[in-house]
Amino acid sequence: MAVFDTPQEAFGLLRPACIQLTKVQTSENVEQLQARLQSVSDSALQELQEYVLFPLRFTLKTPGPKRESLVQSVVQCISSILSATCVKKQDLLQELFSELCTCLSPSGVQQPAPLSEELKLSVIQALHVLMHSAYGDILLTLYQPSTLPHLGFAVSLLLALAEREKAKPIKLAALKCLQVLILQCDCQEEPHRHLDPEEIRHCGNLFASFLPGLSMALSRVITGDLKQGHMVPVSAIRLFRHIVSMVMADDQLATISRDKEKPSVEQSSLSELVVHRGPEWVKSTAGKVSLLIHRIVEFACLHPHWKVRLELMELVHHLLLKCSQSLEESLGHLLKALVGLVNDESQEVQCRCREVLRSIAGLRVVAENRALVDVLSENLHSLATALPRLMNSQDDQGKFSTLNLLLGYLKLLGPQVNVVLNSAAHLQRLSKALMQVLELDVTDVKIVEARRWGPDGSLGEPSGLLQEGKGQKKYFRFFIDERIFLLIQQVCRVLGYYGNLYLLVDHFMGLYSESVAYRKQAAMVLNELITGAAGRGVDVLHERETAVSMEDLKGSVTSVLEEYTDPANWYLLTSLDSEGASEELTHSGAHAIPGGAHGSPVISAPSLSSAPSPTIRSMNSNIWQICIQLEGVGCFAHALGKEFHLLLASALYPVLEKAGDGTLLVSQAAIGALGDVCQACGYGSVQRLINANSDYLVNGISLNLRRVAHQPHASRVLQAMLRHSDASLLPLVEDVIQDVLVTLDQFYDDRAFSFLGLLSTLMTALVQWFVVSSEEHPKEQTLEQLNSPSLRAAPQQGDGPGITPLGQEVEQFFLDYVRQKQIAEGTLPCEEDEEVPPAPPELEMGDAGAEGELPLPAHARIAKDVMERCCHLLSDKSLRVRLKVLDVLELCVTVLQGHETHLLPLAHRAWPALVPRLVNDDPRAVLRAFKVLCTLAEACGDFLRRRFSTDVLPKLASSLESQAPVSARAGPVYSHTLAFKLQLAVLQGLGALCETLDLGESDLTRAADACLLYLSARQPAPLQEAARSVFLHVMHVDPDAAWLFLNEACCPLPYEPPHPSLRPVKLGGAGRLRNEFTANVLGLLRELQRLEAATVQAGPQDEPCALSEALG
Amino acid sequence: IAGMALPPPDPQFVLRGTSAEVNTLHFYCGGQEPNYPILFSGSSNGLIHIWNLKTRRVDTILDGHEGKSVYCVKAIYGKDRLLSKSQGRNQKICLWDLAEGRNTVTDSIFTENVGFCKCSLLKVAQQCWLLAVPGKDLDEVQILELPTKTSVCTLKPEVDAKPGMPMCLKLWQPDFGSCPFLLAGYEDGSVILWNLSGGKMLSRLACHQEPVMSLDFDSEKTKGISGSSEKMLSVWSLDEQQNLKIQKMHKLVNAGIADVTIRQDKKILATAGWDHRIRIFGWKKLKPLAMLDYHTATVHCVSFSDHSRPSERLLAAGSKDHRISIWSIYNQT
Repeated sequence: MAVFDTPQEAFGLLRPACIQLTKVQTSENVEQLQARLQSVSDSALQELQEYVLFPLRFTLKTPGPKRESLVQSVVQCISSILSATCVKKQDLLQELFSELCTCLSPSGVQQPAPLSEELKLSVIQALHVLMHSAYGDILLTLYQPSTLPHLGFAVSLLLALAEREKAKPIKLAALKCLQVLILQCDCQEEPHRHLDPEEIRHCGNLFASFLPGLSMALSRVITGDLKQGHMVPVSAIRLFRHIVSMVMADDQLATISRDKEKPSVEQSSLSELVVHRGPEWVKSTAGKVSLLIHRIVEFACLHPHWKVRLELMELVHHLLLKCSQSLEESLGHLLKALVGLVNDESQEVQCRCREVLRSIAGLRVVAENRALVDVLSENLHSLATALPRLMNSQDDQGKFSTLNLLLGYLKLLGPQVNVVLNSAAHLQRLSKALMQVLELDVTDVKIVEARRWGPDGSLGEPSGLLQEGKGQKKYFRFFIDERIFLLIQQVCRVLGYYGNLYLLVDHFMGLYSESVAYRKQAAMVLNELITGAAGRGVDVLHERETAVSMEDLKGSVTSVLEEYTDPANWYLLTSLDSEGASEELTHSGAHAIPGGAHGSPVISAPSLSSAPSPTIRSMNSNIWQICIQLEGVGCFAHALGKEFHLLLASALYPVLEKAGDGTLLVSQAAIGALGDVCQACGYGSVQRLINANSDYLVNGISLNLRRVAHQPHASRVLQAMLRHSDASLLPLVEDVIQDVLVTLDQFYDDRAFSFLGLLSTLMTALVQWFVVSSEEHPKEQTLEQLNSPSLRAAPQQGDGPGITPLGQEVEQFFLDYVRQKQIAEGTLPCEEDEEVPPAPPELEMGDAGAEGELPLPAHARIAKDVMERCCHLLSDKSLRVRLKVLDVLELCVTVLQGHETHLLPLAHRAWPALVPRLVNDDPRAVLRAFKVLCTLAEACGDFLRRRFSTDVLPKLASSLESQAPVSARAGPVYSHTLAFKLQLAVLQGLGALCETLDLGESDLTRAADACLLYLSARQPAPLQEAARSVFLHVMHVDPDAAWLFLNEACCPLPYEPPHPSLRPVKLGGAGRLRNEFTANVLGLLRELQRLEAATVQAGPQDEPCALSEALG
Repeated sequence: IAGMALPPPDPQFVLRGTSAEVNTLHFYCGGQEPNYPILFSGSSNGLIHIWNLKTRRVDTILDGHEGKSVYCVKAIYGKDRLLSKSQGRNQKICLWDLAEGRNTVTDSIFTENVGFCKCSLLKVAQQCWLLAVPGKDLDEVQILELPTKTSVCTLKPEVDAKPGMPMCLKLWQPDFGSCPFLLAGYEDGSVILWNLSGGKMLSRLACHQEPVMSLDFDSEKTKGISGSSEKMLSVWSLDEQQNLKIQKMHKLVNAGIADVTIRQDKKILATAGWDHRIRIFGWKKLKPLAMLDYHTATVHCVSFSDHSRPSERLLAAGSKDHRISIWSIYNQT
């Protein structure tokens, strides 16, 4: 379509249509005009604007009823003209404005006529366009006292549409139009003229007249049916925000004089309509607006659509920024809305809310405006007052929002929170509320029942898995939702962050010691306060001006820690273990140092000790208290970071003490705390922590060993140290081990067992550090030496006819045989070193003189001291103790292996006590005694062999022999008797002993004789098995003797000599009928053969010397 | 009193790691935290350990006595200078410079005495100290001026007095600036008061049957106490005529007092016993207050800290068992 650029051309085009419309006012004619307008350029149209508008306006102004369709098309046409042109004349603007308004209400009443929705929409849009097409200055002419009635008319019409109309587009359009009307259009395309302050004030004056109507209608729209969706309330809230923040703006009101200006003469009548925004007006209006705000806030806060809540945020923001003085009454509501939305479920709202909070707090509106602080603290106080009640009555959701509110207030108050805290009443309320909310549920029996597994002193989990600040899950009496606890945590941290730390710590320490009922909660709060004070894990709106100094923080932590680890608060009854119960109760007053820092024990502390039988509830409560205090140690460590090093001297020992606690929860908490300490102080692992601070721990152990009640803890800590350290620890602990032994000497009777656990750990550690690691290699060699004779001697047994020794082998054998014989007779000087037998024990004894002069190394010294104690304890009346002693003894012997001068006298001393363990004790003890004997045999060799064969073996053998018929005859019940167990133990132990002691032939025969009885098929199966094991061991010591012995019992095959010149072999068992021994003997012979085959494979050069025996 | 019912207290903490017998202790509390208060300890392996009592760890180890047992350690010039004395055929007195992290021997004095006698130090003027050390002859005491090392006088008993070797020394002066005196305990069990200005013996009191192991003197009350290897503590006073008089004898259960120290506030005193125990007495009436039982061997020395805050004052004891026990007791008054 051709575009007509010049006014002349356009005039030619438009003129007929205009004339036509003037003559006949129909929709068709309007549409024709509209169609022609399309091809006119904007500039040309601007020239002809009034001309073209004339027929349209004329149509509207024609008296009499008109068809709606006509009006609508006219209005649309006007819209399209206006959207392409500018209104440059004041008159035109005003006339168009009122003409358009009249379309909505032809009768002139302030209610829109019942017109079609399309028409209404068109008119509203036309008004919108008109407001945008007016030049800035021209537009302002609309805002004069004289035009106030017109404006008012439009406003009320639009409001009525927004409120009553059903169609959403109309409502939205009306609200939008209203926004333009109050000069707050937020459209992007056409930048509106910027108003200077004076103009703004002027408009504000005008709009003040509309405020009551607008605000009330808008509040009705906002709080209308939820079905209207979110768009309408969003626009309405926005409009509400604009009108209120314009009329009630503090900066405007500040410039308005008290008295009304004298109206200029010509406008006197109209200016009566203009409101004077004097203080009184402001006050009364603010009161009314406050009610509306309250209603809007309450409603919109809970609006399901997040955009509504977001818009509410904007409202609050603007009003707080611009009208905080005029709308003082509403501040509470506004802040409440803001604070309540801080943790909104919608991320956008949450973000925006935080931004707003930050900007408000950042602007120092809160801090400098006394009134606002008052409002906040007022709110806070009333909230704190109601908090206990709310926590009782509200459900979790309700509690959540209430606490959210509390947190919001604290954050908003920021450093000003001290104003609230300094008032004793406020602090009291707040703390009592926290005490109540945080009350733990202590009814769970499982907490008390859950026991820790694993040996004393092991710290369970590998330290790498430890995570920061992961306290155990707690169960609260008044809520379940985990988020609530997190909120409370934040509340406390924010308090710690901004609040006066000394005041707070002091107050909560007071509550801590005031009553058991508060103690756990107060400790939780204290932990979080310190965390917050250190600025850890706090989410705040603005930085505090001065952070708590490290010195202050350290001071607070030190005093809290002192209180936590005070015996009255640290050694609490957590289980009914006989050991724990009796000793932990005796603590009271244990640390009373004359003139020391400790005052009288806390009044409530003995509630446990005074109660005759502690309830599950009180134990559960104690467990939690200890856990919380342990968590506290972790928190404090993180709060102080490297500075916590200085406190390790006093804090590390108690924590480690709890790490080995029998109650699962406590030990977990302690391990968690250790992890925290490691992280905070920069130790890579708990191990390193312990190693680096072993001096502190040793100090704690040594001092606690002096107190009977604390000995088990001390020994636990020492065990933990031993388990988690290495040889470098020894010089440090050597000293304290002496303390342990001295203490043990004082308590042989009743406490031996707990100390033996420690000694066992100690000796295990020593073995690990000094024997296994350093002597691994030599030890292997000795083992090899021990084994080698049997290996070398392992004969190629002529069990089957298929295996015939080769001629050369026989020759070699005889050569060697002669040589051996010569050596034995001393006729051949021994030149080859490789054949040197192990040095005889007498020689070693001789050497020992020189060795004895060297100072014994520390670990051997300790082992020696421990072994001395073991000698005493070997005959203890408690089996438990005896068993443990045997274990420890074995370890001692292992450590002392290389120091025979010291070991032999000790073995000599231990021997008399050890013998009864071997021959006449509980089967379990017998078995362990055998093990000890084996170890001892390895170390002492000859020394023991003689004693064994004289003191022990005869007794054992004869008892085995005498018992054999009994067990052979016995029924199935026999296996439950002690006699059976003893037999079994002896048989199980004997073999290994024969092998390690390297017994002589006669002793072996003695043992084999006794055991042979048990190879009988009539014996109970376990005894047969055990007896077989004895023979297997004997085979290692002397395979030939074993072979011969077994064949004497039962010889399965006849032996043909390889050469007729050799005499035939006749063995004792040959030709015997199958008897009770046959099965086991044959099995053993097969095993022997298998062993030999393996040996032959391993070393074919080894001669089959067994043949010599066979040859007799 | 309630105190009777209380169990004996524990040490506040124990310092380990000297790996040798601890012969002497000296507190220094003057500086600023966190490195103060500190404790110097001298041990039989010739090392001097400087302990930081905040961290309870050794800060520095001084090695200047060639492995010979250190018998005496005193701080002078604040803590920047340290005086230490070792035992042996050639007794060596070292002056250490510890300022700004240095630890060097700036000066040393050799004496030819062989005994176990600790020396005594007295500040007589700004930058001027008197040092009493056993002299060349067995029974003589030499007074040196520091830092010049010049000999002020030699105190030698008359030929027929024969008190034996000096065992312990205590320099004191009634008022600052007045003429200093020396109290010396001797091998024969007597205590002798010397006037330094004339080098004259003023009074001699036989208060023990056995050698005097240690003595301390309260110049305000002009009253002193001495302990010996027997079961006796002896309190004696000095009258206006400069005569020493026995005031009280206190019998102990076990023999042997290695060290006696009166606390700076003159309220209590502590003794180091050969029976492994530390005893606390009220100084006014020598009332036994406490028996501190921790060590497992002879206690060699006791020392009180002079912390500016009375509540932080400590007692330290060094023992043959290589440990130093630190006690916080009777410091609330």
